[in-house]
Parts: sequence; structure tokens; C-alpha cells
Amino acid sequence: MLSPYGLDIIESCLTCKTRTERLFCDLPGAALQAFENIKYATAYPKGAVLFVEGQAPRGIFVLCKGRVKMSICATDGKTLIVKIAEPGEVLGLSATVSGKPYELTAETIDPCQVNFVKRDDFLHFLKSHSDACFKVAEQLSEKYNNACHEVRALGLSHSAGEKLAKLLLEWTSKNGEAAKQEPRLRLALTHEEIAQMIGTSRETVTRLFADLRKRQIVQAKGSTLVIRNKTALKLIASNN
Amino acid sequence: MESATQQSCLQCVERSDRLFCDLPPEALKAFDVLKLTTLCPRGTVLFREGSQPRGIFVLCHGRARVTVCSQAGRRLTVWIAAPGEVLGLSACLAGSPHEVSAELLDSTQVAMVKRRDLMQFLHNHREACLHVVSLLSRDLHHAYDRVRAVGMGKNRHSRSIRIQ
Repeated sequence: MLSPYGLDIIESCLTCKTRTERLFCDLPGAALQAFENIKYATAYPKGAVLFVEGQAPRGIFVLCKGRVKMSICATDGKTLIVKIAEPGEVLGLSATVSGKPYELTAETIDPCQVNFVKRDDFLHFLKSHSDACFKVAEQLSEKYNNACHEVRALGLSHSAGEKLAKLLLEWTSKNGEAAKQEPRLRLALTHEEIAQMIGTSRETVTRLFADLRKRQIVQAKGSTLVIRNKTALKLIASNN
Repeated sequence: MESATQQSCLQCVERSDRLFCDLPPEALKAFDVLKLTTLCPRGTVLFREGSQPRGIFVLCHGRARVTVCSQAGRRLTVWIAAPGEVLGLSACLAGSPHEVSAELLDSTQVAMVKRRDLMQFLHNHREACLHVVSLLSRDLHHAYDRVRAVGMGKNRHSRSIRIQ
């Protein structure tokens, strides 16, 4: 069935082909059936806000398709992107478990399919299914590790240039391009969003990219970025 | 002052106030069998960032500093763990190297459980697994608070960064 956003909606988790590749979704039979009974499959367009930082937790959102921007906001309106969530991730997990307000804001950056589960249903589900509980613990561990990584990247980098170089190198290794002589990246984020990921201004990111291009460290080909001089980029990332 | 070693969790009077330790009797008994209790001096490094996880460390008394480190060796405190906290949990569960280092700020008693034993224990005791989920949720809130403080601070002073 095609949704208005061009998504091929997976109605049932029981027939989902990608389930086995995903940390949370790969549940044993009984738990999967129980999850199937409590979830609501929904499709969202790009730019939809799933939940807002500070809001009381309504439940969890399992991202089936598309990507979601997870950000925190300062009182002056400054935004910091903590993570770009990928399919298979469970969003709003820690707030739903602890009962504390959502720590982050989740906004779709692609048309997304999301499975929503109400808080009470989810807590009951965890109490009844230890396998699911274990998988939630694993997901939380990964999120914690990611948050510590973010603290390191933001707190221990000297300059915006160093943070940008680290981010580009991180993306190349996520895309499986790290071993290549000239890794390629498809830049799916705007300069504004990249700035929000490294805690700087859009103008600084634009200036840094211009500088990297001038020094022939990177080359832009449409929305694809080719890293021409990986050694120089690594040198910037290591603050030397 | 160094506190006396409390060998058994079953007789611990502080257990009921602590999120992880307040386990039902059966799970507590199983945990008590698995854990190794040691008295560690101040400055003991429980684990280092980048090392493979050997197990979890439950702080019975005292505090520990949890830090991240740059390649140049600068350290940033992520948080100070208080008595009752469980350290090394996320790395053990994810099976990935430690993202942080943990160093004792006081001479204290630490209960250690090996990774393999912990995984088995959590599979066998649902309540303990729920406690771990609650603990990790709380740790994650701490970590996001730190991300906010570090990423949103206007200058180094306002970020309250402790660099060594």
C-alpha cells in the first residue's frame, strides 16, 4: 500500500523483511505478536515534529523508514542536533521509561513511517517480555555511548574546523567509505543543520567548507562531497 | 574515612534507597553469588575509555569521576557517580569498548560482576533487567544534560568544563 508521502508502509511487524537486521525489532515470536497488538503504524511527511523537548512522555516511536533529527534547544533559540536517527531506532525511550519529560525534540527530515506505542502499554510490555526489556537496555546503552561521544566531540574540540573535520570523517566511516583513497559523501544536510550538529553558526560552516575547497582537501560535486586529501582532514581533526 | 567492607548485599541497609540494588529477594541472592567485593583506594581506575568491557562496577560507598578524553590527553568530566551507581553498564550491554573512563574519588567498596555473568543474570531475572533499563534511562538523561551544557554554553567558563 502506498501512502501519500510515497512510502511503502509496512503494516505488520510480523511480515517486515528488515526486522531481523534491527536491534529492537528482532524480537522472539510471542513478544513480537504482543508488540504488534499495541503499536500504531503512522506515516509522517518531512518536517513533522514527533515530540518536543520538555513535553511529558506519551510513548515511544519506533522509526521504520526515513530519518529523524534529534535536537536540543537553548532558551535563546539556539539548536544543537545531537543525532540523526536511522531506521530501527526507538525514539523517546529514556523519557518513556523514566517518566521524565522528553530530553530532545524529534523532527522528521524525510517522509517517515513510525510505529507509536503508548507509554502505559509499553511499560506493561517490558514487564511481560524480558527479551524486549533486554533489547531496550541495549538500545539505551547505544544511546548513552552516543551521548558520551557527543560530549567528547563538543567539549574537547578546540575549534569549529576540528569539529567539522571530525564529523566528515565520522560520516565516511558510517558510509563504509573510510578505507577508500578519496571517500565520497552525499551531503543530506544543509549548512545550517551541519552547524547545529557541531554547535556553531551557518556562516562558519560555509566559510570552513570554502576554506577546505580552496586548500583542495574537499571537492563539491553537486550534493556529493569528495574528500581529496584524507590525511590533511585527519590532521585538522586531530588539532595539529 | 574508609568504610568497613559489607560483604553481603542481603544485609546492606542502604539497598532499598538504591535504584539498582533494590532487587527482589531471589534476584538479590543470585546477584550476591555473582559479585566480587573489593575495597579500592582513591584514584583507582575502574576502566579506561577504549578498553573492552570486563564487567560492571557497583559503587557501594564513595564517588567516582566519569570522564571522556581527547587524543591530546585533555579530560572532561561527564558526571560524578554517587554511591549505588552502576558503572560500565552501557559498554557491557552494547558489547562495545568503554566510551568513558571511571576513576574513584574516594577509597570505597566496589562490587564487580563479570560481563558474561551479568548477561546471564539479566536474562534470568526480569526485574533486574527492568532496573537496568531505568538506570540507563537516568544515565542517558545525565548525558544529555551534559551535551546541553557543553554544546550550548557560550564560553568555556559557562560550560563548567573541568579539563585536566
